Amino acid sequence: MRSISLILKQFSRSVVLVAGFAICGFSAYAQGDAVKGEALFKSKCTTCHKLDQRLIGPALGPQLESETDDKWLTKWIQNNQALISAKDQKALKIYNEYNQSAMTVFGDLSDGDVSNIISYVRTEYKKEKTAAPAAGAAQAKAAESGPSDLVIFGLIGVIVLAFIVILVLNKVIATLERLLLKRQGLEPLLEEEPKEEGAPVDRFALVKKLAKNKKFIFFVVLCGILASVSWTWMTLWNTNVHTGYQPVQPIKFPHDLHAGTMQINCQYCHSGAYKSKNASIPSLNICMNCHKVVKTESPEIHKIYDALGYDPATQKYDSTKSRPMQWIRIHNLPDFAYFNHSQHVKVAGLKCQQCHGPVETMKEVYQYSPLTMKWCIQCHKRTEVNMKGNAYYEKMEQVHDILRKGGKVTEAMMGGIECGKCHY
Amino acid sequence: MDSNKKYWKGLEELNNDPEFVEKNKHEFAEPIPIEEILSGGGLMAKTPRRDFLKALGFGVGAVTLAACQKVPVHKSIPYLIKPEEITPGIANYYTSTYDGHAILVKTREGRPIKVEGNPNDLLSKGGLSAQAQASVLDLYDVNRLKNPILNGGDASWNEIDAFVKKELDAIKGGGKLIRIVSSTIHSPSALAVIADFIAQYPTAKHIDYDAISYTGIIQANQNSFGKAVLPHYRFDKADIIVSFGADFLGTWISPVEFTNQYVQNRNNKSLQSKKMSRHIQFESGMSLAGSNADVRIPIKPSEEGVALVTLYNQIAGTTLPGSKKLNNVTADKALTIAAKELLAAKGKALVISGSNDVAIQVLVNAINSLLGSYGSTIDLDNHSNQFAGNDHDFVELISEMDKGEVDAVLFLNANPVYDYHSSSAVKDALKKVRLRLSFSDHNDETASLCNVIAPNHYYLESWGDDQVLEGYYTVVQPTINPVYDTRQAEQSLLVWSDNAVKEYYTYVRNNWDKSLLAKGGLSGQKGWETLLQTGFVKVADKAAGTYTFSRDLNGVAQTILNQSSQMEASGDKLEVQLYQTVAIRDGKRANNPWLQEMPDPVSKVTWDNFAAMSPTDMKKLGHVQGDVITIEANGYSIALPILSQPGQAQGTTSIALGYGRTQSGPVGDGVGKNAFPFHSFRNGTFQTTAVATFSKTGDNIILAQTQTHHSFEGRNVIRETTFKEYLKDPSSNSGGSIKHKKYDDLFWQDYELEKKPYNWVMAIDLNACTGCGACVVACSAENNIPVVGRDEVRRRREMHWIRIDRYYSFNDEGKEVTEEQEISTLKDLEHVSVVYQPMLCQHCDHAPCETVCPVLATVHSSEGLNHMAYNRCIGTRYCANNCPYKVRRFNWFNYWNDSRFDNYLINEHTHLVLNPDVTTRFRGVMEKCSMCIQRIQAGKLKAKMEKRPVKDGDIKVACQQTCPANAIVFGNKNDPNSEVSKALNSERTYYVLEELGVQPGIGYQVKVRNISEFEA
Repeated sequence: MRSISLILKQFSRSVVLVAGFAICGFSAYAQGDAVKGEALFKSKCTTCHKLDQRLIGPALGPQLESETDDKWLTKWIQNNQALISAKDQKALKIYNEYNQSAMTVFGDLSDGDVSNIISYVRTEYKKEKTAAPAAGAAQAKAAESGPSDLVIFGLIGVIVLAFIVILVLNKVIATLERLLLKRQGLEPLLEEEPKEEGAPVDRFALVKKLAKNKKFIFFVVLCGILASVSWTWMTLWNTNVHTGYQPVQPIKFPHDLHAGTMQINCQYCHSGAYKSKNASIPSLNICMNCHKVVKTESPEIHKIYDALGYDPATQKYDSTKSRPMQWIRIHNLPDFAYFNHSQHVKVAGLKCQQCHGPVETMKEVYQYSPLTMKWCIQCHKRTEVNMKGNAYYEKMEQVHDILRKGGKVTEAMMGGIECGKCHY
Repeated sequence: MDSNKKYWKGLEELNNDPEFVEKNKHEFAEPIPIEEILSGGGLMAKTPRRDFLKALGFGVGAVTLAACQKVPVHKSIPYLIKPEEITPGIANYYTSTYDGHAILVKTREGRPIKVEGNPNDLLSKGGLSAQAQASVLDLYDVNRLKNPILNGGDASWNEIDAFVKKELDAIKGGGKLIRIVSSTIHSPSALAVIADFIAQYPTAKHIDYDAISYTGIIQANQNSFGKAVLPHYRFDKADIIVSFGADFLGTWISPVEFTNQYVQNRNNKSLQSKKMSRHIQFESGMSLAGSNADVRIPIKPSEEGVALVTLYNQIAGTTLPGSKKLNNVTADKALTIAAKELLAAKGKALVISGSNDVAIQVLVNAINSLLGSYGSTIDLDNHSNQFAGNDHDFVELISEMDKGEVDAVLFLNANPVYDYHSSSAVKDALKKVRLRLSFSDHNDETASLCNVIAPNHYYLESWGDDQVLEGYYTVVQPTINPVYDTRQAEQSLLVWSDNAVKEYYTYVRNNWDKSLLAKGGLSGQKGWETLLQTGFVKVADKAAGTYTFSRDLNGVAQTILNQSSQMEASGDKLEVQLYQTVAIRDGKRANNPWLQEMPDPVSKVTWDNFAAMSPTDMKKLGHVQGDVITIEANGYSIALPILSQPGQAQGTTSIALGYGRTQSGPVGDGVGKNAFPFHSFRNGTFQTTAVATFSKTGDNIILAQTQTHHSFEGRNVIRETTFKEYLKDPSSNSGGSIKHKKYDDLFWQDYELEKKPYNWVMAIDLNACTGCGACVVACSAENNIPVVGRDEVRRRREMHWIRIDRYYSFNDEGKEVTEEQEISTLKDLEHVSVVYQPMLCQHCDHAPCETVCPVLATVHSSEGLNHMAYNRCIGTRYCANNCPYKVRRFNWFNYWNDSRFDNYLINEHTHLVLNPDVTTRFRGVMEKCSMCIQRIQAGKLKAKMEKRPVKDGDIKVACQQTCPANAIVFGNKNDPNSEVSKALNSERTYYVLEELGVQPGIGYQVKVRNISEFEA
């Protein structure tokens, strides 16, 4: 039931949107009947028809463009069943084309109403056609960039180091030259020259003075060493920790829209989280539950259609054209660590957000938690076991012992930090 | 009984060969060349300071840059349209059938990864053989044919169909013969398809041809009772079993089923009700059944006939003409006692013979008739369909082919070019056949001589059904889409015979809808779906009729005795007995590395066959183990290494069939030598004995034999008693009264396991375990255990987590032989008794391995398990050194991904068979039995999700699950009502090396032998 209501909700939104556009467009062309027709179209037709696309029924724009016999149309709209049972050729053709699913009979629509609707459809469709097709959305390439830029940083570091070495060497060479000159008694000669201009000397005087201050140099070097050691320390500890990893996905799937605005439950798509070790990325048929009708014009949604080999015009799947959708995995545990979603979601009753962060606000998902063993164990040590109403824990003497003493039963106490529980 | 009875794994241990002693001192077979490095120039040579700095700088730089590579981008590819029944990460189980056994196939994300017994299987109640366990691997054999082949070139199915149909029509028009040669088919639907095919091509005939033939029994039943069937034997109803060379626990007819039946009268439950069957075995080579027998008498193949005549005379109280005394005092004595005991147990006795000779089987029928076995231990009315081969038919076919009468021959699961005794006869005959077609999915010996190969689906890709026992109908359903462009043979036959039904699936459905479903009280679509869930229907057994043998035996006895005297080897000849090994059987699965690496239960040899000889003979002839000898018989000769086999009858040699394949694939090719040519066609059947001459070649090779690997260094780990003693005192020799020294818990914290929810332990009943080795393969499949190959096994590097130790001991004239006695004074190594002991990580509560690990990679859990964290292990191997049970295995190489170990497991496709819940271990890491912790965790999680406590029996470990004898019980010791608690509370329970104070978690139950006052 939930999914159906979601679809309806999505659908009604899109209808409102279309209607909104229509109103904006219409203000210029305003024709009495078309405006009335619009209201009628909205209330009666949009459940099964769209202007430019086939839905349950035909796309009305092209249909009414080719079909100009308004009298016949009126008859069809008011009572298509009568036409079909009268074996009207045109009616039968449509009827059979749409899998013999009968159109609703609108006995309550007067001839005037019907012509209002027809004129609305025709003007509106014309307008849509003339409007230049929206600039194709820039195809976002799914760049396969790795999370580590260590190589680049390393190279930069090497260059900087080399530069410093060159500077120091230059300095040494200069000093040596000066010493040489001094020994040869030439130094005073050179030193006289800068004395002639006062200003530049003053500018570097402070630096020179500081450079000769041994305490200051010691302090600077110390700071430098400390900084680099702590940087190395942090880097090493965070090797292979990819918090914040946010690759570009092949489809720009906005979690903030689906999980946030639309309030779709995580498990609607990630249904495995409740029953399996894998939360699982939804198969595309889950997307199609809604996107068969919702936002069908979006280029991102068309990526789904392309992957499935689905043709929105005919609503047919062609499995020969289908190709797998290659998402980029964000949360990567090493192979030797066993993790089971259902254990955490179903048994422990954890919220997805506890590990995955505020997904409902993420336009693009990134890795929220470090996924390190330390992180796992910390949680296992702090978290109390959720045993409410679970007969599994009922007869465990060990549990009762702890509770009797007024302690709290954590995962760790139940053996949750033993090696073999996750590594096998 | 003396508890310091001497048990030994091999003669080298018994005799304390210097080489053995030396090897056993070291942990590893090959010394690690530390000394060389230290003593040679290695560390002493001077390294100039500049060179050192250069090397250091380069090293650091290289390592840093190497470590700086980008983290690979992992793709995650979901289903496009997810099938409703699949949840990634959760296994699906489908019922199917393997060789007549109802099975469950475990699939993950659409690929089969394990075969498990269907707990409701009528044959073995969920037990499976090693072959069945290994069968899943063959699905991923990359050497399978990937498409049909026409005249040596790749072809499409349309081309094949057009060609075959044109040929068949032409042959039909010309009135020439068409023959379908298959190993026995017990599928009702497949038989119906063949019948339809024959209806379309009336010159066609179906010939059952079994490489290992049971024609002798079938013909004998035809002669004796007018029923040409293989009876259904009931070992569970037999109080006394006398077997003449029939290895009914290893290879004979239906070994898994028989094991299950046999153990019912010998397990703990039976013992507690003071009942134990008695089993006497007369045989030449040591077989699995023989090694489990209470009394085993070695006889030569030529003595078998005489012995049976003698037994008949004693039971019937008559003397058949020509009877002579057996030239074997012990056997003679044993026969007298056997006859007495058989008569005493009339109606509950069973005599069987492994011979394929009609006359011998007729005599066996006569004996069984006298003993009233028909209707109780032998059921002729609910007969077995397992084998129906008719040897004579195939021999006739060859002569027909030779005469040019046959224009088409279709081979279905038959490979006579390899397994017929005269390969050249088949080859020559095939040359005269116009259409030679094989359904083989490998380009095997026969298929390669065919002009059409129409590769069959593997059974895991097929629809079908089976009926191995009359009235027991099982269903075969596919668990994966066909991997290659193959087509089911039945489907091909349907197409070629223009059958009205186009799809074999529809055909099977129709067949079931028409008649079979109704037999199980099912009908329609719903009935079919029920069948797919239960896996089988069973028609109520007919009442087993009693049959009385009433034919004249004089002629039969004459034939038998004549044959025996012909068989007798004179001079320096040897009597050759051909047998199947438990792992390789008839050689059809020779390309399966799991089976090749499984140590043979008795000989413990892997990756080879050999000539087993009695140690006494070897001494006499001046041979040592591994000497290669040439054996010649029937104008065919092979060179095989000798294996010294205690218990082998003197003057005989036993050679395993199924080896020496030339076109099975890279794993099976060239492993061992083909012994099928030693078969001969005598008295209308294929006979498995021959008289051979032999000569030395001068070569000596080392067999990859695991028997003395992982030695206990003479510590006493086996406890056994006799049934008589057991009746007096059930705790007899279980060591319960022995007080062991208590050790202070200096190193081990007190885990207070009794207060914890779980304490996972295991109980192994040594009296139920037959040593068949199915658990070894099941464990390999479940835990992703690598195959290391022959050379690595020779270096004692096999990786199996569970091994079955086979111990010999002497039973010399009723007296126990202890270590103190001089072993060299013993007369013969023929009369030895055998104990099998499955050995795996004992999960000691005071584990010696844990205290020596410098990195805490192996630690104890609060559930009584000894955990092994692979990612933490740095490979010091201290733990293996300190383990008294020698159950830890070290990964010397990255076996799953090293091209040096050239078995076909090393490729992406075959890796699909891996269990995704268990990591594969990398080079340099120690591993060992985890007590299937993935199953424990999954079982607990399931209980938590269903909000209920874990029930006893919820969690089954892989070895326990496959054991046809139910010898292994696993469970929670803290649950007093669990099976395992009850088993461990049995008086027979003892712990191996209890005296060390390591507190092992696995309890063994004392072996009981049903030996009467006489013992030879």
